[in-house]
This record gives sequence, C-alpha cells and structure tokens, in this order.
Amino acid sequence: MYAEQANKLVLDAKRIQNLPHLPPYAATTVRAVTKEVRDLDREVSNLLAPYSSGSSSTTQSSDGTQQIKSSFSPADDPATACALLVNHLSMRRNKRCLLAYHRMRTDKLEGMCWSGVDVAEIQDASASASGRQSGGGAATSSLSAEEEQYVHQYSDLLAAYKGQWTDIDLTGSLEPPRDIFIDVRVLRDAGEIQTEYGSITLTRNSQFYVRQADVERLIQQGYLQRLS
Amino acid sequence: MAYYNPEAILTDAQKAPCTFELAVPGLAPLNNGSAIEHGTKLDLPLWMAEMLAVSKPAGPSSTSLASLDMPPALGPRVLNALSADPKSVELRAQAQWFYGLGERMLDLFDEEKMVELLIDMFSRQTFKQRALEIADKSQNTRTTQQGGDSGDFMGGLDETERQLFRAAHDGSNAVKRWFESSSRS
Repeated sequence: MYAEQANKLVLDAKRIQNLPHLPPYAATTVRAVTKEVRDLDREVSNLLAPYSSGSSSTTQSSDGTQQIKSSFSPADDPATACALLVNHLSMRRNKRCLLAYHRMRTDKLEGMCWSGVDVAEIQDASASASGRQSGGGAATSSLSAEEEQYVHQYSDLLAAYKGQWTDIDLTGSLEPPRDIFIDVRVLRDAGEIQTEYGSITLTRNSQFYVRQADVERLIQQGYLQRLS
Repeated sequence: MAYYNPEAILTDAQKAPCTFELAVPGLAPLNNGSAIEHGTKLDLPLWMAEMLAVSKPAGPSSTSLASLDMPPALGPRVLNALSADPKSVELRAQAQWFYGLGERMLDLFDEEKMVELLIDMFSRQTFKQRALEIADKSQNTRTTQQGGDSGDFMGGLDETERQLFRAAHDGSNAVKRWFESSSRS
C-alpha cells in the first residue's frame, strides 16, 4: 500500500542501469502497482461520493471522461482533505515509479537496437537463464508484448533512418580499423556471404582470413569472432 | 531527466519522522491498521512527508497537516560525529542517499542556524575530507578488494560517494589503458 510496491520497480530500474542484459519484465509487480492505483482511485471516489450533488453535476466532457463537480471544501474537513492528499500523492508516486521503470527498459532496448544486438537473441539468452532457474520450465521472453512491439518498430525506424545514407554505416564501430584483412572464427552458421573476391560459406568452427569491412556486421551480431 | 531518474526517486523514498497535527480516520492503512490521531508519529517517505508538511487545507494561516522533523540521520548525534571526524562515520548506515537527504531537508527547513551548520558540514568539512579519502582509496583498489578494513570502507559510503569512487577508479584505469594503447601504435 502507498507506493511500497513501486519502490521495488525503481530499485529494479537502478539495477538494470548497470546490467549488460535485460532481466525479465516484472509483470507481477507492475500489475500490483497498477492495481494499487485503481484501489486508491476507488477510495478517492468513495471519499468524494457524499459531496457530489445529484446527477445534474455529472457532466460528460469533450474527451469523453466524466467530470464530477464536487462541493467538497478542504477547509471544512481537513481530515478528509488529508486522506485525499495522501491518496493522490501515492497515485502520482506510483505513476512516476512506473514511468521510470519502463523508460529505463526502453532506453536499454534502444541502446541494444543501436549496438546491433539481436533482440531475438536476448530472448533466447534470458529464456535459457530462466529455464535454468526454474529447472527447464516454460521458457518465457524477458520482454513484455508491448516491449517486443516497441523494439520492432524502433528498429524499423532506425533502419529507415540509416537508409538515407547508404555510404555511411551509422551503427558501425567507431574504432578505426588497424588491418584491412583479419582472421575470424565462425561461432554460428551464417550461410553464404558475397564479398568482392567471391563468396564464402560460413560454417561453424571454421576460420577465414577476410576483409574486415565485409564481416564487421557479422562480428557485431555475434556470428563471427575476431582472432587477434 | 530528474523525473525519470531512479536515484532521484529513491532519494525521495527515504523516510523522515512526521507528527500528524490532526486525526485522519481514513488513513489507517498508513499506520499499520490503527487509526491516526492528533500527535501520531510516523516515519513517512519524503515525497509524502514534504507535501503533508507544506499543505494547509484550512487557509494559509492554519497549521499544516503534519509537522516534519529532522530525520535521525541528520540529527545532532551524527552531525557532531561528523564534525569530530568526517572520515570515521559510516554514512551509509545513516541513510543510503545521505547527501541527497540533506539537500532535500535544506529545501524544507529554514532555520538559519541549522541550515548554515548543514551547508558548512556538507561543503567544507565532510564532503571535502571524505572525497580526498575516496580518491585516495580508489587509486589503490587492491587493498579494497582483499577485504581488510577497506571492505568496511565501501560499506560506509553513501550512494553518491560510491559513484565518486567508481568514477575515480574507472577514470584512472581508462587513462592507463589509453597510454598503453597509444604507446603501442
């Protein structure tokens, strides 16, 4: 009660800040907090119910929400005013905590989009992590459905933005390359890629001496490992 | 940005003692189920305590809903200990965001003597001396990681000081790395 659950979310958000991966979405806590907000709202309505006079005072405003004109005056009944204030503050606090939590997660997801981490891969990783915890139980995604949608739409936007400059890779590495050709080892099958010097088939555990520019993307996505 | 900042939110979640100036029957859940009477003392988080302390529903001349006291973390005992030796006090045991708490309390209290004392405490004495110690220890993490008395040292830092420690430590490490990489090429 009174925004104690929401504190957990903020602690979680602070923890997420410094983590390399994204822990599972705290659906239960979020649901508990939203339920608390609804409870508080109901309580406020109950407190104010005696003061709203008749049906004539309930008007439908232009955006469709009901506005209740109330004859409540805080000066006459400071105790009720205090209860209302505390309820209202708690709702506002809950809102702030929820927003902070979700923003932290979306910031993190945006960062992942920019650094080229495959979101499906994050889900696999977290699924195996949670699978280990629950003894191979139902593997669930660490993203909520909304977050998944967010990531997809954000990466679409990012792709559209990058498409404007075909000769610059905006998400490319900022480190200037030292060598034109590098040794790479294939960590996962990536199929056949086309290069200037013909095509290479990247099968797992094989090694190649290739032009860095050709495989940079694949290294970032974790298909290849650079051997120094 | 501060609105979404988890640290700012957690700073606000720190508690301060409040005394209710009126009976509020509707807020029993706040007091573990027993009714709140006139003079009930409760530890409330700052975000709630602040508004209760400043709102005066019955006009500007009336008393506020609750009066706010200094949290024990900023009480005379701690302040005396700090003025005796800033480095010996475990700030984290007092409050996780000690400086944040002090900053918030300065906003709410306007007794000049205390405010002066606090500002003096924070800017001249405590923080300066503790920052020196933190910078010193951060360059020398081998002892910190191997426990000894330095394990306790990290445990005594408040969250702001921990960030300072980390920044000092990472900073010198980054410089070292840069020197190495630039001398190689």
